[in-house]
Amino acid sequence: MKTSTSLLLVAVRDFKERVTSRAFQLSTGLIVLLVVGIIVAPTFLHGVGATHWTIGTVDQVDPGLAGQVRAAAQIGDLTVDTTSYADLASAKIALEGEDVDIVAAPDGIFVGSSTDPTLTALVQASLTSNAALDRATGYGLTAADLADLLRASPVTTVGKTDTTDTSNRGFAFAATVFLFISIVTYGQWILIGVIEEKTNRVVEVVLGAVRPHTLLAGKILGIGALGLAQLIVVGGIALAGLRLQNAFTVPTATPAILVAVVVWFVLGFAFFATAYAAAGSLVSRQEEAQNAAFPLTILLMIGYFVASFSLTGENTILRVASLLPPFAPMTMPLRMATGDAAVWEITLSLALMVAAIYLLVRLAGKIYSGGLLRSGAKMKLRDAWRAAEV
Amino acid sequence: MLELLNLHKRYGNIAALDGCSFRVRRGELLGFLGPNGAGKTTAMRSIFGLVRPDDGQVHWDGAVITPAIRLRFGYMPEQRGLYPRMRILDQLTYFGRLHAMDKATAERRALEWLERLGVSERRDGRLEELSHGNQQRIQLAAALLHDPDLLVLDEPFAGLDPLGVEAMSDILAERAVAGAAVVFSSHQLDLVEDLCEDVVVINEGRIVLDGPVRELRARSPHRYLDVEIAGATIDWATQIPGAEVVTVGDGRARLRLDDTADLGAIVALAERAGAVRQFSFEPPNLSEVFREAVQR
Repeated sequence: MKTSTSLLLVAVRDFKERVTSRAFQLSTGLIVLLVVGIIVAPTFLHGVGATHWTIGTVDQVDPGLAGQVRAAAQIGDLTVDTTSYADLASAKIALEGEDVDIVAAPDGIFVGSSTDPTLTALVQASLTSNAALDRATGYGLTAADLADLLRASPVTTVGKTDTTDTSNRGFAFAATVFLFISIVTYGQWILIGVIEEKTNRVVEVVLGAVRPHTLLAGKILGIGALGLAQLIVVGGIALAGLRLQNAFTVPTATPAILVAVVVWFVLGFAFFATAYAAAGSLVSRQEEAQNAAFPLTILLMIGYFVASFSLTGENTILRVASLLPPFAPMTMPLRMATGDAAVWEITLSLALMVAAIYLLVRLAGKIYSGGLLRSGAKMKLRDAWRAAEV
Repeated sequence: MLELLNLHKRYGNIAALDGCSFRVRRGELLGFLGPNGAGKTTAMRSIFGLVRPDDGQVHWDGAVITPAIRLRFGYMPEQRGLYPRMRILDQLTYFGRLHAMDKATAERRALEWLERLGVSERRDGRLEELSHGNQQRIQLAAALLHDPDLLVLDEPFAGLDPLGVEAMSDILAERAVAGAAVVFSSHQLDLVEDLCEDVVVINEGRIVLDGPVRELRARSPHRYLDVEIAGATIDWATQIPGAEVVTVGDGRARLRLDDTADLGAIVALAERAGAVRQFSFEPPNLSEVFREAVQR
């Protein structure tokens, strides 16, 4: 029988066993609920993503106010209404009842505790310039003279538009968190799966028919595919939810980041899953699992912390970490998203990662096959290495 | 034919295998005996590549065993193990397919074995929901599903009730008749004596006895004498040269004689002690042969 056939059989079994388990279904459901909750909750708190302002007016103050505010605001999805009131008292009651966001009256501007300061500034500016226009005729000035007097300095954005950069960075960091959590989670599945096969001894029967390397590769493939599927489902739901709500402007680099996230998930998972499997093969009891995995979890956390402390911008530690295999999956996507990584850096980082995975599979595969059949006390790496068949 | 050739395996200072050699022919049902820690499990594991011997080789039909050849072997390890949360039929089908069967055949054979072993109504249940005895049946089915040319079972009778023992005996004998080489370890020597023509006995990593049970018994330097004398105490037998009382009770005695014992003198002593109801002279049974071989 071909190795690929048994590899596929192992992978499908591992995939199926977990996908049909109640624990997996519950946890996936919970994650989806959590993600949907995070996306939907702000809608309930603040209304739909679009902004809506209502200005209460008294004595027909400036009929064009709503239009002026909307034009000056430069906010994409904005509607501005006015509601007129017979007197200031009733307008103030409406403001307190939050029927209107602000009141513009001949006596001045009235705001509530929750009034958006931007709105206040815009209304104030509009009223001021309207009043100035009125008074200007008294000074013998035309509207054109006034416009010349009040001409503001033009504003030009230099370099990359900051909003895009920030949202890319935010998105990339969210991706790093996502990568960290998923590699740790699915790595733990591998760890537990290996120890389970070892403790219930099924591995003796399986190894009668399948070589240790094939079992290892099949397990990583099956659980990795499951992890990727869960990632895609959860990520897809999150993106779709955000899209539907228009809650954020999708960063320009999103598709590239998504590809980077998937690529680095696959590479990072392959690396750490192999290492987790080797760690799992050294112990015989679930209680020892965390001890065995501790050094790996530390490596992952170092990468994660380097990424999270580098949110303000590039630094040497981040640059170096993004090239080194154990840390690259956590750090390189961030640099790619912000456009800080040079092409040669990305290439080098990918090449080193692939080389490291190749070496680790050979190394960990040997430790795994040596450790699998030993029971009892935790094995030393060296003993597992020597015990390996082939 | 399976051949273990001069296997050596050390764990630290302990020699688990110390020049272990024996063979199992196709169609043979071989009992593999030995005290605890003698090296039985290590020897069986080495057949499946689960232990790498320090020295020596395992051959099948005269050649080193490759993974492809090993797919034609079936193994029931001492410490039973299958996937606890997997459904029975899925599980058996999976193991069948790992042994290069196609899905439909694997499933059909799994159903046949479940039927034969009387657990077919549990086929959609999870392994962990079954009793110990039924889990053992599934384990056996997993080893037999692909009609192996070589069947290796480590303590297959441990933990089985008398009906289970009988069913297991029948199946093992049947596989041998069908042409498979079958080897199993056991501590139930009466059972082995009933079931196997041939046995090997391992002690401290070396084979100390190897051959047909009948020959091994005949080859022993000792003979056993069962005597029943109505109303007599054992006093008549305690002072006979070359004879040792092995068991005694209820007017019966079993004596072990070495070649210096004078059978005629013993007959005379017995007749003087009372009315002799039974007087049988036999070679040792398998348990006694075993004990003689491993107690030095």
